[in-house]
Amino acid sequence: MAVQSKSVADTLKKKSGAGSSFTGFAGRRLPIDRRLLSAASVLVVLAIWQWGAGHVSGFILPAPGDVLGRFLDPKWLTRVASAFGQSLVQLGLGFGLTLLVAVPLGIVIGRSRVLTRMFEPVINAIYAIPPVAFVPFLIIWFGLFLQARVALVFLMSVFDVLVIMISGSRDVRKSLLDVGRSFDASHSQRLRLIVFPALMPFLFAALRVGSARAINGMITAELFFAAVNLGAIMKRATQNFDSATVLAVVLLICLLGLAAQSAINALERHLLHWHVRPA
Amino acid sequence: MSRLRDLALPCLGFALLLAAWEIAGRVLGGALLAPPTSVAVQFVEQLGRGEMLRELSGSLRQMAIGFAAACVVGMPLGALMGRSGVADAIFRPWVSMLVVTSTAALIPLFILLLGTGLMLRVTIVFLASVWYITLTTYNGARGISAQQIAVARSFSAGPWQIFWKVTMPALYPYLLTGARIGLVHAIRAMVLAEMFVIIGYGGLMHRAGLAIDTAPLLGLLVTLMIVSLALNALLGAAGRRLAPWYEQQRVSA
Repeated sequence: MAVQSKSVADTLKKKSGAGSSFTGFAGRRLPIDRRLLSAASVLVVLAIWQWGAGHVSGFILPAPGDVLGRFLDPKWLTRVASAFGQSLVQLGLGFGLTLLVAVPLGIVIGRSRVLTRMFEPVINAIYAIPPVAFVPFLIIWFGLFLQARVALVFLMSVFDVLVIMISGSRDVRKSLLDVGRSFDASHSQRLRLIVFPALMPFLFAALRVGSARAINGMITAELFFAAVNLGAIMKRATQNFDSATVLAVVLLICLLGLAAQSAINALERHLLHWHVRPA
Repeated sequence: MSRLRDLALPCLGFALLLAAWEIAGRVLGGALLAPPTSVAVQFVEQLGRGEMLRELSGSLRQMAIGFAAACVVGMPLGALMGRSGVADAIFRPWVSMLVVTSTAALIPLFILLLGTGLMLRVTIVFLASVWYITLTTYNGARGISAQQIAVARSFSAGPWQIFWKVTMPALYPYLLTGARIGLVHAIRAMVLAEMFVIIGYGGLMHRAGLAIDTAPLLGLLVTLMIVSLALNALLGAAGRRLAPWYEQQRVSA
């Protein structure tokens, strides 16, 4: 019995100790540094991959060295860099349009009980349709070039942002608004000083989810409409069975996604230091 | 009164959508946007012809393989990562990298590796949904309170009992949420892959897009919407039946 209760006390102590080093984490303190372990995991997999790729034909499974080697070829790099720039333009236009439309619309719908009841089922129903399924429509309406690509980026990200903004603005705590009212804040003051700050964490959540979807839309558009930019490079490489190049472009897009996520997280930490995001 | 309003308002929302669509369809014409009235007529005809439902069930069966594989891999992986710091450190870099990798970008690569057959579609569906299932389960497993486990341990429950009696029930809502999120991505990936290689239901949509009239295409879209909503509702109902504490925990989560 005594042993048992001691182990419980130990466990609890360990948990609270662990809580200070990495918050909310349920496991024990690690014997070695987490980052070291993560780096080792990446390196080991890459090493196995490099070794395995040596045993099969290069166009089936390119070695990671070959993929990274693509980035050292200056001619390829300039071509990819200019294509990447073009891709970013349509990404910016489409996602900008999403934010311009979905953020105000989400706040307006979410702040009104009636509008939420009215439009939430409609939005959920349209959201259930895979956005790629609209591609034939976008071709009919916008053709095969920049407009269609921007439209697809918009379509793939707009509902995610809208849904998050609606649920965020619906859940602004009533007690906060009551405090504002009892301090005789006007409607615009309540909006500016209470509602908008309370919405900021949701805006960042919407940015995180929306940007990932928009990047997804960017490359989908370049492959599904007339192949251009990064999509064209991928398509040509596919036709030449050059899977190292295909993988290099995939890696580039993946890095863009990771960079966007960490930039948004850094911005959130900087601007919203008062808000602790649950891990 | 409020009961009535709760029902009337969504209906009004859909009515407004249909009205706007009808007006836009009449103005733009069937080549640009078929109005709902002609889509409804076309829809009945599509149902009767049987091609749509045949392709749909074929595509869904292939999607189910990929989705089931994603659940089988993603759920234990997420639980393991959430409960073990070592597993978390080892797998997290890969999961967080692969979850932001867009599925569309992977299709050309996998066409090279696997061709355009069954394996391609299953793999794409798997890759599109598995990381979301993993991460949702992971978040759930991390959130299990240390007190609950300590209580079980003080009643001298072994690790196996703790797993089945504490961890699993606590994880259950997250497994279901993960499956629902994963399913959305699985359906998206199915359509994506099929439209890319022009096969199955996605191929049907691609061909419908080439026709002059947009009504058949819209009929296919509506079917897809119904399937997606129905599958989601099915998972929700299954959750409520298998674990009545699901709703309650989901609200608090």
